[in-house]
Amino acid sequence: MSTTSLRRRITRRELHSPRSTAAIVVAVLLILGLAWVGTEIVIALLGLPALLVAPADMFASAVNLPDAPAAIVVAAGAVVVVIGLVLVVLALAPGRRARHVLETERAATVVDSEVLASALARHASSAADVDPDHTSVSVSSRHAVVDLVPTTGIPVDRSAVSSAVERELAGYGLRRPVSSRVRVRESGKVGA
Amino acid sequence: MNSTNRALNRLLLLIVGLLLVAVGAAAATAVLLPGVRDGWKASAGPVQRQVESWLQATPLGTTGVSWIMPAVLVLIVLAVILLLAFALRQGRGRTGTVVDEAVGEHGQTVISSKVAEEAIQDALSARPEFVASHVSTYRVKRTPTLKVSVTCRRGVSPADASAIVESSLKALDQLLGRELPALVQISGGFRARVSGSTRLQ
Repeated sequence: MSTTSLRRRITRRELHSPRSTAAIVVAVLLILGLAWVGTEIVIALLGLPALLVAPADMFASAVNLPDAPAAIVVAAGAVVVVIGLVLVVLALAPGRRARHVLETERAATVVDSEVLASALARHASSAADVDPDHTSVSVSSRHAVVDLVPTTGIPVDRSAVSSAVERELAGYGLRRPVSSRVRVRESGKVGA
Repeated sequence: MNSTNRALNRLLLLIVGLLLVAVGAAAATAVLLPGVRDGWKASAGPVQRQVESWLQATPLGTTGVSWIMPAVLVLIVLAVILLLAFALRQGRGRTGTVVDEAVGEHGQTVISSKVAEEAIQDALSARPEFVASHVSTYRVKRTPTLKVSVTCRRGVSPADASAIVESSLKALDQLLGRELPALVQISGGFRARVSGSTRLQ
């Protein structure tokens, strides 16, 4: 059906970065650079003094590069290589966003991992009877890790917390299942 | 959701990245490696003479300058125009109508996307689970598609959030008499973090 292919396309695009920011930054820098070179060419053709470097001098210094101070050339070359490698990585890496797809009936639904984490934290803290401020949850694409700092003197029932967290996760209907782990800190905190 | 050409974005990044790596590596090796350095120096003179002879061989009328420079200028202007078009095309794809069809011989039915957007936004803005909601309409593969983004309060279950939005979508389906494809985006974000946590259990 076309709606399922539409839905698949939408969720795939929502899960990956479009690389728009990087592409626009690169395009704008290219435009600025080209505009400068173009201006220098016009100025040279009119026979006026150059803004920064005349086209002929640009060409000459590129050709006579080995005569330039070695340290500066090497440093600049290294910086340029690093920037280039960053762009290559940006172009080729999948760029997954911290989001999850929910299997829902009516609409294609994507949830930020942050929202999953905060919902899990609420349930974990009420199951463990720990202050919400002492509960932290991190959700990656396949794992959810719950960190609890117990209140001193009140033991935390780890299995109860982990079953509560698992029940919650199962109820969300995540397309890619997330496994959970509960860690209870050895030393508790007084009060709270 | 939008019509950004992502393959083109990545292609531009790849090409520019590879070019920068090549230029940077060439500059560094030309200074560091004696072999490359000598080769570069040996070819510098001939290359310069060759380019000079080209410039002299291509006079522009009687002005005394070569037409190579104006040609380069034209290429630069073309490249700038292409890059501008590329940058400005990002993030487009919104549409103003959700339904546009001819019914019988009496005319056409057009439903503005404002109808759908405001109906859903109205239903969602009253809900305590969300701190913010925004609805927009995009054209995806020529099909008008709703994008409903909601920002949840801290601790709201995504299943509940999704159920609330789905029910408002279903109410809209009833109103319009058809199902519009939809994307629901449930996010947290800064406003959710600083606002109070939910009191719903």
